[in-house]
This record gives sequence, structure tokens and C-alpha cells, in this order.
Amino acid sequence: MSTINLRIRRQDNPDSQPYWQAFSIPAAADHNVVSVLLALRDNPVTTSGERVAPVIWDHNCMEEVCGSCAMLINGVPRPACSALIDSLIQPIRLEPMPKFPVVRDLLVDRSCMDASLRRVKAWIEIDGAWDTGLGAPRIAPVAWSANYLYSRCMSCGVCLSACPQFGSHSDFIGAAPLAQVRLMNAHPTGRYDKTERLHAIMGAGGLSDCGNAQNCVRVCPKGIPLTTAIGELGRQTTLQALQDLFGESTPSL
Amino acid sequence: MRIANPHLLLRRLHSLFGLLPVGAFLVFHLWENSQSRFGAAHYNGEVVAVLQRLNYLPVLEIVVIALPLLFHAGYGLVILSQMRAEPRRYRYLRNWLYVMQRVSGIGILLFLILHVGMTRIESIWRVTVREDLFGHMQHLLTQPWIFTVYVVGLLLSVLHLANGMATLGIVWGLTTSAYAQRLFGSVCALFGLLLVAIGIHGLLGFLS
Ligand code: SF4
Repeated sequence: MSTINLRIRRQDNPDSQPYWQAFSIPAAADHNVVSVLLALRDNPVTTSGERVAPVIWDHNCMEEVCGSCAMLINGVPRPACSALIDSLIQPIRLEPMPKFPVVRDLLVDRSCMDASLRRVKAWIEIDGAWDTGLGAPRIAPVAWSANYLYSRCMSCGVCLSACPQFGSHSDFIGAAPLAQVRLMNAHPTGRYDKTERLHAIMGAGGLSDCGNAQNCVRVCPKGIPLTTAIGELGRQTTLQALQDLFGESTPSL
Repeated sequence: MRIANPHLLLRRLHSLFGLLPVGAFLVFHLWENSQSRFGAAHYNGEVVAVLQRLNYLPVLEIVVIALPLLFHAGYGLVILSQMRAEPRRYRYLRNWLYVMQRVSGIGILLFLILHVGMTRIESIWRVTVREDLFGHMQHLLTQPWIFTVYVVGLLLSVLHLANGMATLGIVWGLTTSAYAQRLFGSVCALFGLLLVAIGIHGLLGFLS
């Protein structure tokens, strides 16, 4: 094929109506969706010959670690940089990531994910009023490699846009922030705040708003075992709820 | 630490009630009615009569069956409003089961209104239903549309229970790995097939 044909859903500002435009650019080897959009930016002319404003989208690392270029490509949410043109059916339909507010064209506002990470305390507290007395934390290699899987989350939001429970209609935080609770709770220092994180996900919009459709784990570009995290958090919250109801067991730390 | 937020407890109560007592009652109910195979005299005299003689039966029916069922159904309807399913876009088995769990919930509710109305509620004012339940059921189930409705009600109920058990394993943290979740899912599916067999057996028993 000598051209790459695109159909792009455009939107001029957050409140305006979306509309579609078709573009066609010369084919070249090794194109991915981001490089195609970069090429299109040089000469934003539709197939009907009209020169239009360049398409706006988010991109950064070009190696599927920053998560910023995720969009709906042929109806599937995925990072644009790793969507190779040769593997896509044309015309390639590009739409902004569903469930997130559109800023402009393919650019969406994913700040709700930051808010969720803040809400579940997805970090490790290292400063305190006292010396924790710990050197570099020791951790078994098996635990380390299990934790590593979750540390690869790039907050692209793909798992959230595929989740039938997530969206403006609900306050469910979705799989990605939950997986970070699983990660931080397993950290030798992070576990000190385990109870606080568990309580954060035991409220409305937390873990129990998951409907177990398990789309998240199928679409996550980093292959993060999100449903395992959800199962493990199910176990942690079960034990936490028992402790809340019947009293603490002897502290193990 | 006191319970600061009842959300998780409500959800877990909803999950638990689906299994105990509601799911357990479904199993008992299907088993009990599979005795229809032994004929009218045995069914009316040995199965139904024994249950009807239980002391405080109405209290048990209300506290152990009706109230947990109503809570499960009512809270289920609340949860239902969170669904924005895209079964066409995401054609995965679990996603379809997620949709079916909610659709079957509505179906079961409609079925139960009909089913309980035609049997337990009607028996309050019609002595014959109480004295010859077998005959009453036979009269109902020989009408093809009622038989069809009962088969559909049975399939939906068993699907809802079996899939509910599989997700309950994840919710409570019994199954965490993908392998365990798949394995337990298969066990639940087999259990469901067994229940369907018992249920169909019982329905056919009323026709003989
Ligand atoms: S869990 Fe996967 S899909 Fe979800 S935000 Fe992280 S990397 Fe993206």
C-alpha cells in the first residue's frame, strides 16, 4: 500500500462537538501511529484537500514506558507508539481514550488517575519524626520479581477505559491505582502504611466497585497482572475488615 | 480501628448473601424438587409435608430466604447502575459473564415474582396448592409457556449462582492467581452443570 489512510475524530475544545476528518499520508517503512501523526503535523491536509489545524495528541517516550500516547486505535485502547502501522487495518480510526474528558482532538485529561493515586497513598513514606532504623530494605527475590510486574505501570489509563465500571457515571478508581496499592503494601517500608491504604480502597469507589469483568488485564499493554492484584487486595481487605470488626491480631511488624 | 466506611461491608454482605443463604437455598430447592421423579404420593406426602410441618416455617421463610434475597436483589439493582458494558468491543468470556451476571439478575427477579406468586403466595389462599403441590405444579408445567419460563428461570439462576461463586472467590481473596481463578471458575461451571441437570430432572418429574 502506498499510502496510510487515517480517520481521526477531532474535537476543538472540551465542550464542542466531535467530528471526523480523513487524512492520507505517503507510506514509509516502520511507521507507528505516533510517527504517522508527527508526519501528518507537517502537512495537515485532509483527503478533500482542506488545510486544517494540526491534530493534537500527547506523546513523549516513544518506547511504551511513559503512557502518554494511549488512544483508541481501531476501537481498541492502546499506546500509539507501539501500534505499528503494518499491523493495523486501514483506514486507521483514531479516537481519544474513552471515559476521560477530551481536552482537544486526541488529547485527554487523565488527572483523575493522579487523584486516585493520591487517594490510595500510592507512595512510600520515608520521612518521619524518628529514624526508622532500617537500612536498605531486604526482600526475597521471588517477592521482588512479583512486585516488579506492578512497578511497570505507566498510568496510561488503558485499563480504565476498558473497564465497564469506570467512567464519569461512577467514582470507581479502577485497576491501575489498585495495583499500586498491591505494590506499595508489599514494599518493606511501604507496608507500614498498609492499613491506611486498605481503608482508602475499602470506601465507595474502591476495591469493591470492581465488577470482575477483567477487561483490564486483557488490555494492559504492560501485561500487569491486575486481576491478581485485585484478588490479593480482596484477601488483604477481608483480613483488614475482620481486624476492624473483631480487633487487631498481634502486630507482626 | 473502627469501621469508618460501611461500603465494603455492604458489598461483602451482598456477596455473602448470594451464597449463604440464597445460593444454598437454591441448591436445596432444586434437590428437594428433583424428588418429583418419585411420583405425586411420595412428593406430597414425604417431601412437601415434612417441610410444611416444620415449626416456625413462615419465620424461617422470611428471615432465611425472603429478606436476604430481597437485600441481595435490591442492592444488586443499585450496583447494576454502575455498568457501562461494551460486550462487542471487549469479546472476552469474563466480560460477557460480567454482563450476563447483571442481565440474569434482572431475569431472575422477574421469574421469581411469577414463580413465588404462582406457588408460595397462591398457596396462602388456595388450600389445594398446599395439599397437592405436585398436582398444582403438574398443571402449571404442562402449559408449554410456563415450562419454558421455568427452564429459562432455572438456567439464569444457576448461571448467576455459579458465576457469582467464581467472582466471590476473587472478591474475598480466595483465588488470586490467574491460574486459581480459572481453575475455580471451571469448578463452578461444573457445579452449575450439575445443578442444571438436577433442576431439569425435577421439572420433568412433574410431567410424568
Ligand atoms: S495498569 Fe497497565 S493499562 Fe493500567 S494504567 Fe498501568 S500500564 Fe496502563
